[in-house]
Amino acid sequence: MSIPALYFDGKTSRAHHVTLSVEGGQATISGDAERSCPLDELRVSERARNTKRKVTFPDEAYLEITDTAAFDALLADTGHHDSFIVRMQQSWRGALTAVVATLVVLVLSYLYVLPLASEGIAKMLPEKVERSIGKGMLDFLDKQIFAPSQLPQARQQALIEQFKHLQPPRGDVPTYRILFRKSKIGPNAFALPSGEIIITDELVHLMKNDEQIMGVLAHELGHLHERHLMRRVVQSSAVAALATVVFGDASAIVANIPTILLDMKYSRDAEREADDYAIAMMKTNRIDLVHMADGFEQLQAATKDSTPPPYLSSHPSTDERIDHILKSR
Amino acid sequence: MTDSAVFHEMPASNPHASDTPIRFSFSGTGSEYFRIWIVNLLFSILTLGIYSAWAKVRRTRYFYGSTSVAGTSFEYHGNPIAILKGRIMAFLLIIIYNIAIEMSLGVSLLMLVVVMAATPWLIWKSLQFKLYNTSYRGIRFGFRGALKQIYWVYLALPILTLFSLYILVPFTHQRIKKFQHQESRFGTSHFSFSGRVGSFYKAYLLVFVIWLAGIIVISATLGGSLFAIITADNLDREAVAAASATGVFLFFGALYVWMFLIFPIFATLIQNLIWNHTQLEKHRFLSEMKWTRIMCTLGLFLPFAQIRAVKYRIECMSLLPDGSLENFIAATQQQVSATGEGVADLLDFDLSL
Repeated sequence: MSIPALYFDGKTSRAHHVTLSVEGGQATISGDAERSCPLDELRVSERARNTKRKVTFPDEAYLEITDTAAFDALLADTGHHDSFIVRMQQSWRGALTAVVATLVVLVLSYLYVLPLASEGIAKMLPEKVERSIGKGMLDFLDKQIFAPSQLPQARQQALIEQFKHLQPPRGDVPTYRILFRKSKIGPNAFALPSGEIIITDELVHLMKNDEQIMGVLAHELGHLHERHLMRRVVQSSAVAALATVVFGDASAIVANIPTILLDMKYSRDAEREADDYAIAMMKTNRIDLVHMADGFEQLQAATKDSTPPPYLSSHPSTDERIDHILKSR
Repeated sequence: MTDSAVFHEMPASNPHASDTPIRFSFSGTGSEYFRIWIVNLLFSILTLGIYSAWAKVRRTRYFYGSTSVAGTSFEYHGNPIAILKGRIMAFLLIIIYNIAIEMSLGVSLLMLVVVMAATPWLIWKSLQFKLYNTSYRGIRFGFRGALKQIYWVYLALPILTLFSLYILVPFTHQRIKKFQHQESRFGTSHFSFSGRVGSFYKAYLLVFVIWLAGIIVISATLGGSLFAIITADNLDREAVAAASATGVFLFFGALYVWMFLIFPIFATLIQNLIWNHTQLEKHRFLSEMKWTRIMCTLGLFLPFAQIRAVKYRIECMSLLPDGSLENFIAATQQQVSATGEGVADLLDFDLSL
């Protein structure tokens, strides 16, 4: 069997009209150019539906073959097989399997593998690394949204002392520092990666008793204990990297929209973990969880303006959280 | 196979046979590309991205092999290992860069300077890698360029543009394209570029005017109703908040969609401008893209639509041969390092057409 082909010698752009035939492990071309070569030194391009096939010689000279059907038959005779990937690419069944498998892998990594991996990485890194990340953050916040606290020094000290005397529910207490600030953003409290727990004057005033304040501080300590910041950093970069692999081929703009939404779930999970830590801490110290729940309720009443839909929210809904706290009693 | 017919009508024995345009053709299909894409995506994810270098080679081979002119197709020779090395380097660079940003202002500024200084070199290497690994009729393309030019075109000019409040953008664009095309070669034959700065300004101005008109229309319709909602006083506060949130969403949504719509117009004008002024020795090119057509292939995030857009872009191109295409001679050149290619790819530069 011989097949018409165009031969290019890799030195000039001239097309040589040749015919290709195979005999005894040797491929031979004849016509405008003559040459023969053992089969195992030739490289054949992958099969694709409407694409001409190429056969490349060791010196980069090559044949271009238009009659792909005849060439497929010739290849089959020589015992050449498409690679596993080519076979999968060329069948709809293979492609469908790939779609399903990709979806399963993506969902599993998102729900289980990534959170576990980031927890592992975050706990492996020494606390010092996490502390060094947000160093400049407090200065920035002090300049932008905080003013010095107007709570009496004695009151601040009393709260700090009171919290210090609470037993941590599990493990070592991470190093932390409680800071009081007057703020433009109303009642709020948060933990910085550098280990500062900031509580605003407005929140201290809003809470009806010290037990409620202890609940809030315990929640923030929970964030520090669980290394949430480091985990979030690892998770968001992994999600971003995955999104680039999946959509990057297409468009960078599209790739970045889902990552923000996907990240929100991790944020809500972190809030739940911090709540659990606070619940455990309250229980260890025999503080009634009713206080913590009431504290949340007051906070919700004070900041009630707009609640985004659940999947867009960085926190679980307050009702859900209060419910969970009271059920843990 | 119309391509081979064209080819056979152009016999080698008659070097001045035809001056009629020979169209580029693209035989790839959306469904086939989708299958290649999804199978390779699966393996890229399963191997934590390592396979992505092989996936890239396979996809590029598919694109190149599907593109032909005068009866023969293009070929991609990129080595996956080289691309993988480039990607690993790019990955490490990004990590180092991100750590540096967190450390201190001084370190991150230093890092920014280093990245800025390295970028032109990376673009250069990436162009060299890409062209060197492309061939047609067994002849490899290539890219020359001098270090000095690279830094002038890709660093000095962009900085100047920034300080000129973007008035120099079309000028810089012209200089970049001129540099890219003049330094490219096919075998031992060089490309040349005759697109003028004035033509670039004209194209940019036209797109800017259309863009502005769209913005005015959007602002007049959506912005007006938004204003009406906010100022209405017979609604209760929560309803106003909800309505204005919807209004803002619609307004910015419309602006975003308009940006998507305007881009094909721009791409069309620029591609036509560039290729109609490019020559390979005496051979010329012709690009006849119409923006109305490319608008229909929006939704570039789907492999199907992407293929259709590529097909359209390629099939709008013709080669206007001046004599025979049989006399190009291959050049010898050392292997080009792949590092540039990898970094550019991960950072999502588009260095093509």
